[in-house]
Amino acid sequence: MSAYVYVTYIYATPQKVWDAITKPEFARQYWLHYNVSDWKKGSRWEHRNGDDSGTVMIDGTVLECDPPHKLVMTWTRPDRSKEPSRVTFDIAEYNAGLVCLTVTHDQLEHDPAMAASISGGWPKVLSNLKSLLENGKTENIWLTKNKEG
Amino acid sequence: MAMANNSLGSSFVYVTYIRAPKQKVWDALTMPEFQKLYWFGGHQESDWKKGSSWKMYMPQHGLTDIGEILESDPPNRAVIKWRNEFRPALKEEGYSRCVYELAQEDDLTKLTISHTIEKENAQFIQAVSGGWPRILSSLQAYLETGRAHGDTRTAAQQAHA
Repeated sequence: MSAYVYVTYIYATPQKVWDAITKPEFARQYWLHYNVSDWKKGSRWEHRNGDDSGTVMIDGTVLECDPPHKLVMTWTRPDRSKEPSRVTFDIAEYNAGLVCLTVTHDQLEHDPAMAASISGGWPKVLSNLKSLLENGKTENIWLTKNKEG
Repeated sequence: MAMANNSLGSSFVYVTYIRAPKQKVWDALTMPEFQKLYWFGGHQESDWKKGSSWKMYMPQHGLTDIGEILESDPPNRAVIKWRNEFRPALKEEGYSRCVYELAQEDDLTKLTISHTIEKENAQFIQAVSGGWPRILSSLQAYLETGRAHGDTRTAAQQAHA
């Protein structure tokens, strides 16, 4: 798989969705990780664990930043063992008070393990984001267990 | 979600996590009185038993899709043999296969929709990959907040899909 795309519609404003992606205090609530950057083109960004360690799990460079509508960045393993992939957030306003958020994670050709990992992760993260913005509730998405074993 | 096209056919997969018990998600997917609340006014007619017929109706178009229940294991899994009925180009592509899979993970239900057709670059898969994210986002909002989504399609899109 070279590209993964996830589309979700959320009752929210583009600014709220933008803040949820770019502001640590917001992201920690539903992603349980958070993103740190000054969000300027060419700047470094880091994806950190929300636990006390704050370990950098992913990092990269901001390629494009047009708040609150578009954010593009490279997605790099901190140990640089694989070529970076790329993540694009597109935030579009719709009628009826809805925002369409499209996450495109591409350039994954060189990292099949990352492709597998992000295909499982994005639906968890983006469903939890939608829950937070629509009803204020979140789940510890990285710890949920299948009750049927 | 992922779309794939190759010599074996076309497919669309969407995964969502909904804060509701599995039975509630199953009921919302299969019962017309619930479907009408979040599926933009549309509903389906079927008793959801293996071998039974399955029909979808939308308010602007009447009968839009037909098929048959190939597998049914409430509230865990359903497989629908599914063909579009009212757009000639899609109808011509023949039957698709749509699988609903539900799994309870703590307070969340993991819902996976896999829609496949044995045709490369199928227009049908193109069409459903626009529809499923709208429908499943509306379903999540409806089950979690009691308020489904309005129809995000433009008037032109509604006329064609």
